[in-house]
Amino acid sequence: MTYAYLFKYIIIGDTGVGKSCLLLQFTDKRFQPVHDLTIGVEFGARMVNIDGKQIKLQIWDTAGQESFRSITRSYYRGAAGALLVYDITRRETFNHLTSWLEDARQHSSSNMVIMLIGNKSDLESRRDVKREEGEAFAREHGLIFMETSAKTACNVEEAFINTAKEIYRKIQQGLFDVHNEANGIKIGPQQCISTSAGPSTAQRNSGDIESNSGCC
Amino acid sequence: MESAERGQAARDRVPRIDPYGFERPEDFDYAAYEEFFSTYLVILTRRAIKWSKLLKGSNSIQKSMTDMNRTFPDNVKFRKSADPCLQKTLYNVLLAYGHHNRGVGYCQGMNFIAGYLILITKNEEESFWLLDALVGRILPDYYSPEMLGLKTDQEVLGELVRTKLPAVAALMDGHGVLWTLVVSRWFICLFVDILPVETVLRIWDCLFNEGSKIIFRVALTLIKQHQAFILEATSFADICEKFKEITKGSFVTECHTFMQKIFSEPGSLSMTTIARLRESCRAKLLAQG
Repeated sequence: MTYAYLFKYIIIGDTGVGKSCLLLQFTDKRFQPVHDLTIGVEFGARMVNIDGKQIKLQIWDTAGQESFRSITRSYYRGAAGALLVYDITRRETFNHLTSWLEDARQHSSSNMVIMLIGNKSDLESRRDVKREEGEAFAREHGLIFMETSAKTACNVEEAFINTAKEIYRKIQQGLFDVHNEANGIKIGPQQCISTSAGPSTAQRNSGDIESNSGCC
Repeated sequence: MESAERGQAARDRVPRIDPYGFERPEDFDYAAYEEFFSTYLVILTRRAIKWSKLLKGSNSIQKSMTDMNRTFPDNVKFRKSADPCLQKTLYNVLLAYGHHNRGVGYCQGMNFIAGYLILITKNEEESFWLLDALVGRILPDYYSPEMLGLKTDQEVLGELVRTKLPAVAALMDGHGVLWTLVVSRWFICLFVDILPVETVLRIWDCLFNEGSKIIFRVALTLIKQHQAFILEATSFADICEKFKEITKGSFVTECHTFMQKIFSEPGSLSMTTIARLRESCRAKLLAQG
């Protein structure tokens, strides 16, 4: 299927917070109560529609255990969006956010859009981290924030799509160089730049458009 | 005579039939055997004490083992409702191992390996020693916090492919696919959940016998056999998908033929070559930081 853009995402966070379950809910619309452990990195994809544009999300789901960080770091590079996930029923997963964020910022493009996700919102009775704490953390570090439930699918769709919207907005503002794949964005095959990009991008990157329009 | 008396005394103490069911021969040297066994018993006791001590101890390792229930959710023997439930056995083996080898502790992936060992040996303590043979001796530094040995071996595979199957290496380079992305699970889980059970067990037999080189033989065989198929890939995602596909089907199910192939298909693979590549890849990784 053709698409205007491909955005690369990475899902990070402690082990057992529900990274793979969020991905499974988003790509397959189902929930697996006991998900196999993710070893290294897994991979999923889905098409979404932003502003009438087909956008392909290519999502990298990483292993959460500390040992694997030295491996998963190599995937940060070239991601346009990151979902940083903690478990609202386990405070230590919230406490580790700073270290995850440092890692992400250090190894990714500065424009990467980061969505903070407090997962397992269906387990209200076992809640250990207040919603307000998540919001405050996100505000302080310039992240978007949502609470989700991979089990009930609550906000899962929104989390992935809002991240895409923000990336798309940044493209339109010309903050992303869409021709540099290291930014985690790829223009779809057989896409004409002038129709796929927003007007402001067209202005800023007019030079590139000239050189690329020949292949459309 | 004194030695004859000792012999008779030992004969009175040592049963005529050994613990394995064999009748002892007429000329069996009871005195020597009794002497050997008194020494050996000390070793067995020491190991038993070590084992029971390993199951106790600090809880820092227990903390990292929160994900045990995610080992083989599709295996009935690992379900909570199973009796006996192998989750508990698995927990003991890994806890003991974490205490035994503190430099490694518990690293995800080891649970799958220990899980298989338990399914096969049906014995906690034996699984522990076999896990130690793999993690502590056979595999070079796969599960330590920086996983340097693992990263090294993934690069070594990349180099071997570059020499033996240059077209595949060129495809990977062209699309910027890192080897770690497509093969990390092969190495970390030693093909558990990647290849069929019988095939994994045959590979492990060779692994215990011949060492970590076998992993490269298996990987190279899989890639070589499906070279044309892999080369059809036209994108990054395609390549990842193809590497999943090549671990399925009759080629890997027919484990006996598969094992014969791993010794012929990849061609010569000397330990000298592996050692040299490991050295250079490790140096490169260390330089990258």
